[in-house]
Amino acid sequence: MPVPIATRARSTAGAASAAKNARRSALLEKLNADASEWGRISHVETLAFGPSLQIERFRLKNGLEVLLCEEHSAPVVAYHTWYRVGSRHEHEGKTGLAHLFEHLMFNEVEGREAGEFDRLLEEAGSEVNASTWLDWTQYNAATPRDQLGLLVKLEAERMSRLVLRDPQVTSEKEVVANERRYRVEDDVEGSVSEVLWATAFTTHAYKWPTIGWMADIQAFTTEDCVEFYRMFYAPNNATLVVVGDVTESQLLPRVAKAYGVIAPSVLPLEDVRPEPAQLDERRVEVHKPTSTDKLLVGYHSPAIGDWDHPIVSLLVEVLFGGRASRLHQRLVRELELASEVRAFVGPFKDPGLIELFASCREGHRAEELLSVIDAELARVREEAIPDDEIERGRARFELGLLAGLDTADGKASTIGFYDTLLGRPAAAFERLDAIRQIGASELRRVARKYFPEGRRSIVLVRPQPPTESAEEQP
Amino acid sequence: MNAPSTINKPTVLVETSHDLPLVSISVAAKTGSLLDPEGLEGLTRATGRLMRRTGGGRDAQQIDAQIDALGGSLAVEVNPSATVIQGTVIRRSLTPFLALMSDVLARPGLSEEELGRLKRETQAELVEALDDDRGLARRWFRKMLFDGHPYGRPVSGVSTSLERITRPDVERTARRLVARDGIIVAFAGDIAQAEAEESAQRLTQDLPSGELPADTTPEPSAAPGRRLVIVDKPERSQTQILIGGLGTHASDADHTALLVGNTIFGGTFTARMTQEVRSKRGWSYGAYSSLPIDKRRQAFSMWTFPKAEDAAPCVALQLEMLSALRSGGVTKKELAWAKRYLTRSHAFTVDTSSKRVGLSLDARLYDLPENYYEHYLARIAAVSLEEVNNALAARIPEQDLLVVVLGTAADIRTQLETAIPNLGETQVVKFDVEV
Repeated sequence: MPVPIATRARSTAGAASAAKNARRSALLEKLNADASEWGRISHVETLAFGPSLQIERFRLKNGLEVLLCEEHSAPVVAYHTWYRVGSRHEHEGKTGLAHLFEHLMFNEVEGREAGEFDRLLEEAGSEVNASTWLDWTQYNAATPRDQLGLLVKLEAERMSRLVLRDPQVTSEKEVVANERRYRVEDDVEGSVSEVLWATAFTTHAYKWPTIGWMADIQAFTTEDCVEFYRMFYAPNNATLVVVGDVTESQLLPRVAKAYGVIAPSVLPLEDVRPEPAQLDERRVEVHKPTSTDKLLVGYHSPAIGDWDHPIVSLLVEVLFGGRASRLHQRLVRELELASEVRAFVGPFKDPGLIELFASCREGHRAEELLSVIDAELARVREEAIPDDEIERGRARFELGLLAGLDTADGKASTIGFYDTLLGRPAAAFERLDAIRQIGASELRRVARKYFPEGRRSIVLVRPQPPTESAEEQP
Repeated sequence: MNAPSTINKPTVLVETSHDLPLVSISVAAKTGSLLDPEGLEGLTRATGRLMRRTGGGRDAQQIDAQIDALGGSLAVEVNPSATVIQGTVIRRSLTPFLALMSDVLARPGLSEEELGRLKRETQAELVEALDDDRGLARRWFRKMLFDGHPYGRPVSGVSTSLERITRPDVERTARRLVARDGIIVAFAGDIAQAEAEESAQRLTQDLPSGELPADTTPEPSAAPGRRLVIVDKPERSQTQILIGGLGTHASDADHTALLVGNTIFGGTFTARMTQEVRSKRGWSYGAYSSLPIDKRRQAFSMWTFPKAEDAAPCVALQLEMLSALRSGGVTKKELAWAKRYLTRSHAFTVDTSSKRVGLSLDARLYDLPENYYEHYLARIAAVSLEEVNNALAARIPEQDLLVVVLGTAADIRTQLETAIPNLGETQVVKFDVEV
């Protein structure tokens, strides 16, 4: 399959473009004349983002990348900070540190009271949140356009001047422990998903959950957090993604001033341990307080940057995406064995998992679902998928991409995600172009490669036997 | 947005934006699950879903495949007061997508076979929902708060009520949902006003004329005293806590003041509740209060989810905070902060065409006072400290209060009963009893 290489933008031709370039050169010259040690800023490239938008990439001398996508449909600005650190950078015994640290970033910076970050930004009308996953941590904020200056200042402050004290670390550990109870301990799907990943991975850091094991969360010290901050939170490990009603001349002076005083770090050499090929079938049975059997199956997937990733994604869409998909039709509609079936291809830097999930209806067993899934997987390994099914999968992809770009925040998430993982902020559109060209033979090839017989991990979830009610109605 | 066009009914709302090649279409009726007959709970939702699956006499597989092929999505949302059929489609497929929506609205097959399948699917979904602690706690809170009122009945129905639904029930309800004179059509995205109006005409031209049935739903009333309901589920390391009573009505004179007061108490991440429960004590990942609106008075509720050992102290703290809020009110500084927050963050309620048209639609579906959203910022600016504190004292319930806690009863009951002063009644209910 030819993967379109449309990353480099068409340079905007004509007088308007020339004038814009001249204005930018003048702006950068002026900024750099007064720049602090690390604040010198350069324009790196112009990239197309879809048919009508552009991304301008800038870089500060301290290594901070700045991606600006001007979009003036509403008086708001999305401002995302992506750090290239996630749970893959942790070690056994210290799992969950990247996520705990994400929480701590909202606490206190030098010269400000604890909690002032949130208070000032809420007062400014901003929406602020953050998330951590296997490969990255991102802090997303969106603000009314006239409040951008405050946001730039506060984000820059917490990149280098965070205060970490015992009481805050202790309290935040308890918050994270409660988050874990909510998402994992008391959530059937959350808890068995951890079992699947811990079964499928033996070596790579993807084997532990981003939220971390409970014992690790409770054992973190303030020193652990300080060390993590010094190691990973630096301008040369981050990208700012700014989308919305803002111009270069409004953004760049603020960024250069706020971040130009931060020195780069010497980033640690990443200690990646590749996952050996899985050659066997691993099967785990667990009992949970749930009403019906559940089934989770994990096949090893290509990395997000792999040629095959969009092809596998399209195949999974055909098989599991939406109510018209093959497995929904078979399991939910025709045979009425399942209440729900879905699948997910991990969008990760290193090979992750294709996760299949299905929930039984009462009176049925997980093995029944597995046998239907196996039959459908065998079918796509042998038979060509008809064009109309492929076309439906393509259309679902396109709708999903477009719907995710409705807000400035959605655009910033898409740009930041692909730039962090692939270094190509417009790669969402490359994937769409790639998916438009995938044919039946490629789908069959990846079905054979990524859904091999006997090389997968399976978690069978059984309802716990009923216990005597501890309480009776008074 | 242009003024709504009503010359040739139905009402048409349009918000044009050419930023993305997407069009969203909402066909809405001011009638929802409140009109489900007793014993047939879930009827309106089942009808909407069945129409979605059988438009033009197709079967569900055909219609799902066609929607996917067009690059579209189509969903039916039913709540107590409204039913909305909401579609989104890539612009190039708008014409065939509208034809499909028209089939769903005007020519649903409503086949007996598909109805049976839908009922079984919904029953299976209700079994699945037993795994969702937060959802379960919310269902019990609503049932117990609005006990005896139609708001207390489940929109999705329960297994037995679904079993009783017949094809004639569904046919009758479908006629109610698409009575032409009560329909509102809202467009957002890559479509101009004239095209939207013409499309609305095509969408609704084959619908039967008729008016909506009169809405005779009474205002809910609060049960007296403090009640504790423990939803008993085994092996819970954590609890889901909802505390509240009756809340606000959009036509209350003190409605805006109460919204501002709630913002200070539990409406944001730096509000009192999050600060006390999460930031200072680390007891719960989230701690918020809310005041939703509908045609009738809705609930005021506080939501936290501490571990089982912290459930009783967390409830005690929340009750103390509630009492302090009513008696001491909020400060001038807090009010100034809340006004700035609400005014500036308003930009994010109107930053896309679908959000803007959604506000206009809500105003009509829920009979909000005239210019409710248009004058929102002015009302916020005009609220005084005295008005906020009077509203909190008058409207926020303290004695007629429902406390719903989902957890393992044996681990938490005694401590909870001790933590709630003046507790009247305790009920322990099994989590898998249908509500």
